[in-house]
Amino acid sequence: MTGWLVRLYPAGWRARYGDEFEALLSERRLGPFDVADVVLGALDARLRRGGVATAHDRKGFTMSLRLGGAAAMVGGLLWFVGLGTASVLGDGWAIPGMTMLLLASIAFLIGLVGLSAFQARREPAIVWAGFALPAVGAVASIVGIVLMATAGDEPVLAGFSGWAIWSLGLFGLMIGSILFAIATWRTAALSRPAAALLGVGSTLCVGVAGFSITGGFAPLEGLFIGLFALTFSAGWIALGWDAVRRDRLALAGGSI
Amino acid sequence: MTPTIPELGRFAEPALLILVSLTEGPRHGYAIMTDVESATGRPMGPGTLYAALARLEERGLIEALPAEDRRRPYRLTAVGEASLADQLEHLAEFAALGLRRLGAAAR
Repeated sequence: MTGWLVRLYPAGWRARYGDEFEALLSERRLGPFDVADVVLGALDARLRRGGVATAHDRKGFTMSLRLGGAAAMVGGLLWFVGLGTASVLGDGWAIPGMTMLLLASIAFLIGLVGLSAFQARREPAIVWAGFALPAVGAVASIVGIVLMATAGDEPVLAGFSGWAIWSLGLFGLMIGSILFAIATWRTAALSRPAAALLGVGSTLCVGVAGFSITGGFAPLEGLFIGLFALTFSAGWIALGWDAVRRDRLALAGGSI
Repeated sequence: MTPTIPELGRFAEPALLILVSLTEGPRHGYAIMTDVESATGRPMGPGTLYAALARLEERGLIEALPAEDRRRPYRLTAVGEASLADQLEHLAEFAALGLRRLGAAAR
């Protein structure tokens, strides 16, 4: 993987820094944040070579920890409101609700990259799984929502309808969120209560999916859906809030 | 004219942290990263590190030493030291101003 990452940089840059950069990457356990940082670094090196460095520098675009925290909060809020709107207010609200769920999935993707920076360099396997699975789930959810809007209930992709793809994506997002919560808990990189909240909410969702499939506890399904939606969203919002709070403290020179 | 760190745009903060790390002597990339992380509690990605290192070297604020087993140490140049001292003095003056104003506002 390190060789592939180094090859993202232009040849001139590699001739000067490639060897030592590859050595640095290979002696460090890379997390999702590191990979995103290297990809942005390679983009920067290519833009600088193209003579647009100064304007680019001033724009200050970067995947920052603060952005990850903000995205997690926005994602959690949109997800809760979107799910409530789509499932409670009736058919007329399905499109606004699903649009909010789509935006929430995009926000979760951004949040996952930003927040994974806090996961230190310990537990790389679980941090990667906790990043990759919800990311794949979020992408599948996005595809499912778009297909639901364009093709309705028709099977469109390998015999799956948009609804089925969205459900599979949601399942991936929830299982991945459990792993992300475990990784956060074990590294203690962010608030443990927030990680626990996210873990409980995601587990409840998996439980609700199980009830739906087996038909068991049908009278309690609504209660579980409400509980999982609340705790899942609150978990992401709390993790995002904690990331932003820690970033502010660090910027102010305080202890995090 | 001594190159100033704010010219480095979004890499100004990482560059300042790297220069401070090198005040204790030459360090290679990995040592700089771990030193910055332990000093600030915030992770510095490898892409950000090398983007800042390249800019600092380009401006003559740091220089590369011969590589040791694929690791290349960097050290501060005289220009880099002067620029860093200048920046830290400005920051100290700014911090003092902020604290004075905070104190006045609290009264």
